[in-house]
Amino acid sequence: MSRTEVLDVAGLTKSFTLHNIDGRSVVALDGVDLTVKAGEHVALAGSSGAGKSSLLKCVYRTYLPSSGSVVLVDEHGERIDLLSLSEREIVALRGRRLGYVSQFLRSQPRRTALQIVADAAVMRGVVRGDAVAMAEMALNRLRLDRSLWDVHASVLSGGERQRVNLAAGTVSPPRLLLLDEPVSALDPANRVAALDLIGSLTESGVAVLSVFHDLEAMERLASRVVLMRAGRVIEDGPPTEVLQLELGVAR
Amino acid sequence: MNQIDVEPEVLEVSALGRAYGPVDDGVIARTGPLAGTSKCATTGTVLAAWDVSFAVAAGEALGVIGESGSGKSTVMRCIAGDVVPSAGTVTLRRSDGSFATITEMSPAEVRGLRVHDLAIVHQNPADGLDLRITAGGNIADPLTAAGWRNFGSIRERAGELLRRTEVPLERMDDPVGAFSGGMRQRVQLARALANNPSVVLLDEPTTGLDASVAAGVLDLIRSLLEEFSIAAVVVSHDFSVIEMLTQRCVVMQHGRVVEHGLTDQLLEDPIHPYSQRLVGAARS
Repeated sequence: MSRTEVLDVAGLTKSFTLHNIDGRSVVALDGVDLTVKAGEHVALAGSSGAGKSSLLKCVYRTYLPSSGSVVLVDEHGERIDLLSLSEREIVALRGRRLGYVSQFLRSQPRRTALQIVADAAVMRGVVRGDAVAMAEMALNRLRLDRSLWDVHASVLSGGERQRVNLAAGTVSPPRLLLLDEPVSALDPANRVAALDLIGSLTESGVAVLSVFHDLEAMERLASRVVLMRAGRVIEDGPPTEVLQLELGVAR
Repeated sequence: MNQIDVEPEVLEVSALGRAYGPVDDGVIARTGPLAGTSKCATTGTVLAAWDVSFAVAAGEALGVIGESGSGKSTVMRCIAGDVVPSAGTVTLRRSDGSFATITEMSPAEVRGLRVHDLAIVHQNPADGLDLRITAGGNIADPLTAAGWRNFGSIRERAGELLRRTEVPLERMDDPVGAFSGGMRQRVQLARALANNPSVVLLDEPTTGLDASVAAGVLDLIRSLLEEFSIAAVVVSHDFSVIEMLTQRCVVMQHGRVVEHGLTDQLLEDPIHPYSQRLVGAARS
């Protein structure tokens, strides 16, 4: 079965010009080509500074790419060039089609865990009544104690907040989901539940592009692993092969 | 790109400028970010704002950031109709779908627009409220200006607005001067929303409030903007306010827009030297 392409990155470069530090230029991405298909989980590997997070941020447009193209193929097969979109179009796209889950929960103060997750579902077009039920399911699935659901997220622990963040990022999931260390603060039992959830997204057809620091998560979830070094892709293939190579590189 | 639906624009600011003194190409060339000043050294003309353009859609908030003197307030005053611009236009789509070009309206027409379609929340509650009269009275003011006559309905509407902005109803008949800073801001919000405006201008809405109170007011503002699908322009020197309320921003320096972008992009990947300096200073 050939799956449809969801993300097509070609010749992507990103450099930062630091005007206030002698105008020097720092290259973060140096010509990246990469595709992710529906129902595929592509994990980015490589040491710190290799460009993994920069790549995610360029796709989400938190970073403004310097050159190249980032194309999102929508549910009708239309190719949307993210670099040519206006800011307002990007904002609209970020609702249903493009999602980003970072390590940290960023939310309004005074919102409860349940509200944050339900708000995220509403933002992706779910009606309010269904959104609450979906939020409850998501929090249950990530084993967040029910007694914490109506507590302001700002008073939760790091691991609890991270689960709220992951629940918000994955409830009624977008077509393309970018994950940047989404389980870094979780204890082993909660981590397993979170990885199960992420695995089920791929099964339901979501395209995932991720950064995990632990190899076990990559081995377990990834359909492909893309190894990066100095802002370039140096290997792209099945997890076991590429991870062997990465271990070699690390040594 | 027609495969992405975006809301229609409600506020459009186009090539807006406000000059104090005569303007010609030389004045324009001798002012702005490259010249490093908004005052022309040859003619003495000050370009408080020049060539400022942006549009805001329903349910969207745009941030305007920049240091003091960058032109933020001038732009806000031109939108509000308090200052007549030297160039450019400001157009607003009313809730009935008709368009109003604020920059071409008479003072009386501007007053009408301010009652029905365009509200302002000031940094200092004393600028937006009469502190000597009651919370209910302050809210009744725009309602009566809009033609409300029945005392009972006015009180009912004022009560509803106070409930929505989380001001205890039993304080409705207390003078606003007896309220805390956070509560005064809530009354200002209630008053601003009285006639369901399509555009709200927020000028440093939480500056001067304690952090915990500010968080509550910000949370309320964000919920109200979403709930009523208001187009908002937010001026603040506090990036956490900008980050929480807005999706997009423009950066102003010496009266000009030097950069525009998504708020998260401007804060994480500012491109213009001035934006980098501004964000760097806030982050350190």
